[in-house]
Amino acid sequence: MRDSVEELLAEEEAEINLTPMLDVVFIMLIFFIVTAVFVKEPGIQVDRPEAVTAMVPERGAIFIAVSAANEFWIDQRSVDMAGLKPVIERLHAENPEGGVVIQADNEAQNEFVLAAMDAAKEAGVNDVTLAAVVP
Amino acid sequence: MRKHIANIKLDEEENEINLTPMLDVVFIMLIFFIVTASFLRESGLDTNRPDQDQPQVLQDEEGAILVIIDETDDIWIDSRIVDPRAVRANIERLHAEDPERPVVIQTARTSRAETLVTVMDASRQADVYNISIASAE
Repeated sequence: MRDSVEELLAEEEAEINLTPMLDVVFIMLIFFIVTAVFVKEPGIQVDRPEAVTAMVPERGAIFIAVSAANEFWIDQRSVDMAGLKPVIERLHAENPEGGVVIQADNEAQNEFVLAAMDAAKEAGVNDVTLAAVVP
Repeated sequence: MRKHIANIKLDEEENEINLTPMLDVVFIMLIFFIVTASFLRESGLDTNRPDQDQPQVLQDEEGAILVIIDETDDIWIDSRIVDPRAVRANIERLHAEDPERPVVIQTARTSRAETLVTVMDASRQADVYNISIASAE
């Protein structure tokens, strides 16, 4: 009988205080919510050109891929040249802080790369970056 | 008196909120945000595209270092074809003559994006960050 009372006491003692863990978890949660940028990925992988001086832009949110076959890809969908501007405008309205990153394939023609730049500019995005990888 | 104190102590223990369900919810939210957080870091080069409406002053030799990329991906500086590896040295030389001059890249429609990035990179390596991109007529 006496043993069982001691056991009960021991069980209560063994309960862990969860409050510090909860604090940590909350801080992590807030960190991830704040840093979550809802990036619009283009949906295809392109073979990017190399550049020694490439830098990471502060806020790239809209990614436009120009494939080797000169197709535009935004937000997991293929877009034609005329549809480029409305799509960028819509995505820019969702996230006005973010800039445009153009991921041009090595083999893409510059006519289409420049068309993507113009579309971004017409849509009101001044922060346009041409993607490149540091070799 | 002793009974009274015991009651208060019991009450205090009763008042403690059970945090476990909230902890469950918070954990699930945390996992959701960790999973959806895409640490997509794309490196690249800043671009500067002049307005289409503005009259183009690219032909002005005094104003800018003009680099032309033609249809066959040849790079022309000062009416000479330049090897892609020599673009940096050429721009450095012109930049040293007049450090105020920006670089204007005039690219043919059918040239490849790789050549454009090569020229932009060479210009940035030569310390000229003021790069405009124009398309040939």
